[in-house]
Amino acid sequence: ARSEQERLLRVSTTLYVGNLSFFTTEEQIYELFSKTGDVKRVVMGLDRYKKTPCGFCFVEYYTRGDAENAVRYINGTRLDDRIVRTDWDAGFIEGRQFGRG
Amino acid sequence: KRRRYAVEPQALEVEDGLESLLVRVGEKSSSSLERNLETLVGLLEQDLEAYKAKIIQILLDCIIRMPEKSSIYATLIGLINIKNYSFGGEVVEALVRQLKDAMKACEWEKGRYTFRFICDLGNTRVLALSSVVQLMDSFVQSGSENDVPQVRKDWFIFTVLGSLPFVGKALFEKRSGDLDRILSMIQSTLEKRKKTHVGGLRVWLSDDPHPQEEYLDCLWAQIVKLKGDGWVEKHLPHPYMSFHSVLSEGVTHNLPTIIPPPHHADHSAAQLLLFPYQGGGKVPLEYMVVEVIISELLGLPSSRYLEVFYGSLLIELCTLQPSTIPQVLAQATEMIFSRIETMNVDCIQRFSSWFAYHLSNYQFRWSWGEWQDCLSLDSLHPKPVFIQETLAKCLRLAYLQRLVEVTPESFAPLHPPKAEPVYKYTQESASSLPGTTAAHNLLAAIKQKCTPDEALKVLEDLPNPLTVDGSGDPPYHPLQIEVFTQTLLYLGSKTFSHSFAAITKFHPVLKTLIQTEDAQICLLKNLHQVWLKHPQMQLVLIDKLLKTQIIECAAVANWIFSRDMAPEFTRMYVWEILHMTISKMSKYVKKLSQEVAETKEKLKKLGEESEESDKEGEPGDQRPTEDALEKLEEKLESALADQKNLFLIVFQRFIMILSEHIVHCDTDGKDFHTWWYFWTLGHLKQVFMLHEEQVNKCKDTLETLLFTPELDSNILEVSDMDLCILY
Repeated sequence: ARSEQERLLRVSTTLYVGNLSFFTTEEQIYELFSKTGDVKRVVMGLDRYKKTPCGFCFVEYYTRGDAENAVRYINGTRLDDRIVRTDWDAGFIEGRQFGRG
Repeated sequence: KRRRYAVEPQALEVEDGLESLLVRVGEKSSSSLERNLETLVGLLEQDLEAYKAKIIQILLDCIIRMPEKSSIYATLIGLINIKNYSFGGEVVEALVRQLKDAMKACEWEKGRYTFRFICDLGNTRVLALSSVVQLMDSFVQSGSENDVPQVRKDWFIFTVLGSLPFVGKALFEKRSGDLDRILSMIQSTLEKRKKTHVGGLRVWLSDDPHPQEEYLDCLWAQIVKLKGDGWVEKHLPHPYMSFHSVLSEGVTHNLPTIIPPPHHADHSAAQLLLFPYQGGGKVPLEYMVVEVIISELLGLPSSRYLEVFYGSLLIELCTLQPSTIPQVLAQATEMIFSRIETMNVDCIQRFSSWFAYHLSNYQFRWSWGEWQDCLSLDSLHPKPVFIQETLAKCLRLAYLQRLVEVTPESFAPLHPPKAEPVYKYTQESASSLPGTTAAHNLLAAIKQKCTPDEALKVLEDLPNPLTVDGSGDPPYHPLQIEVFTQTLLYLGSKTFSHSFAAITKFHPVLKTLIQTEDAQICLLKNLHQVWLKHPQMQLVLIDKLLKTQIIECAAVANWIFSRDMAPEFTRMYVWEILHMTISKMSKYVKKLSQEVAETKEKLKKLGEESEESDKEGEPGDQRPTEDALEKLEEKLESALADQKNLFLIVFQRFIMILSEHIVHCDTDGKDFHTWWYFWTLGHLKQVFMLHEEQVNKCKDTLETLLFTPELDSNILEVSDMDLCILY
């Protein structure tokens, strides 16, 4: 299962984006991450109970190359004064957008 | 003795060690470069025979990837050549192969660095200077051929000129007759050179305060100056000078004759770079670095890398050198802003977008107050427009209150509006509108999770304003479209995701209501009304509607040039939408072309296989059929027709609107060179630049149908310059 997970990460077009402000919106994420390519979807991480943004999201691209460029150029720069951190994600699955409250 | 198996772990270790040593030579170190080179030569000597191929490959990579260190590698090879003459010869052979391959593969940068390095070997007694002269001759010859594109010829001349700072002095001292001959050949070639395209590639429209020189003329002037100085300069490193007496014992090799491959049609050399400079303390490095990055960002027809790459690079530099780079960058920004009314429109847009991104990384802190004077200028003057558009871009990365806080109160007229929807049917005057009752019913129905069919039912009884008595059903129903789209978008207005979900759920309703291009334009008009204050929402929704095939690219183009959009016509987001639309079309065409090519390839292979034997295909293996190929080809053909149609619409509308403007001004006895004209002509150029590859394919049609000699010369000039670049 571990090697399967590694394989998924190598071909993934989805990024986990962390260290966001609770006030950062989906619109802002779109604007920033569209700078490296066409974004397929953004899934905002939500507080399990209050259903409000809680500092992370998933950004899915159509191509691996666009996602790689986001890791290269957007990771480590700022949005709403916070340094954006990106990580590869094996692919968003419904339910994972709910963080701990 | 070491064994020669590349797979041996020990051998791999040695190879890695060699690579690291070779790559790092010339980096900062506790001992001198001379000492390091001597040590390296000593170390390499042991492994030279066993790892020859690997060492040569590493060296070839190093000179391409670190051209700033090429003289160091030339020195290294010179020193090795003295101890091992045959190794020197093999390096030369490998370089010649690399140069030829690079030219064949149109890898122009690689070819240029290889050429320059070969010339540099003339300084370290690896190559005879007569060979260097011979190579230059062959290149200058190729630079003055007839019947090949200018860009190809320019590359040869540029390459030779770019290597002269490195080898000019040696040639001057030992081969001055040859050098003079080469220079005068270049001069006469440059004098004959056509420069029609130059106007189209100008970032600045004015030569005041600094004339904008064309890159080859500029380089030529520098070489002439260098010649005047006796080929002495203080900026390039010449590490071989310290080894002068050792190297003078070297026995030189000769180059074989190198004839550049002939031109073939898909050679398109992109714009070329200034040659990289290594300054180390002698030149104001921060200024040069910032200037090179910004000039690359603003490069025409487009920047070589993603715009955000330059943005993140500048942020990185500001972090690494916080005491210098931010100030230099601010000065550069100030300088560009002060001249912005003479800048190419696409460059203004890129500059604004970069600036907003940069500011968002630095709390939007900027000496905004110093730009207050611009507020009294014409509202379409590039300065206030730049500020307004930059703030609009900033808003997308932040929120309105933030921008209000950082800018002076007087900037209020330039602030973007709060990004909220305008829903017609809850406004005060709504009660008298014909669609209000239906809209309210629809609101309630959708909130109660009605099906698409039920939603259509709600719209059923609305009267069609296009109905003319006794002439049947009109082609579309503007009121139904208005009530439905306004209500749907309003309900989904919370976020992009809400809007997307609404469009997906009610896709069947949209498909039912929208079946003609006029209906599509009507939908766009309503979308625009609801989201007038939220340009980014307009962009992503139109993107979504294109992807879900509710609207077509041609409708977007026609809508942008429609009367309803006239008030927004000079806003940047409108053009962002147009370029997104054109790019989408181009991507689709490319994807289909690729699929057709792949399917053909597969069919060919299958044919060959079945001739060999009648193997059964593996179960589940998707075997393409002739039938499938035919369908794909039909699809591609119709996509190509759509694409051509799209460009025809865009260019025709541009021509109409510009010609109309010129005629109107003439009738009123006014100068037509207004700011509106500046922006519109600039956006026309922008279409040429951003989509050059695709426009190029329709060049003939465009020239026959649209850009005919009868056209106003001001408009024709743009198309002439730009169609010329496309070649």
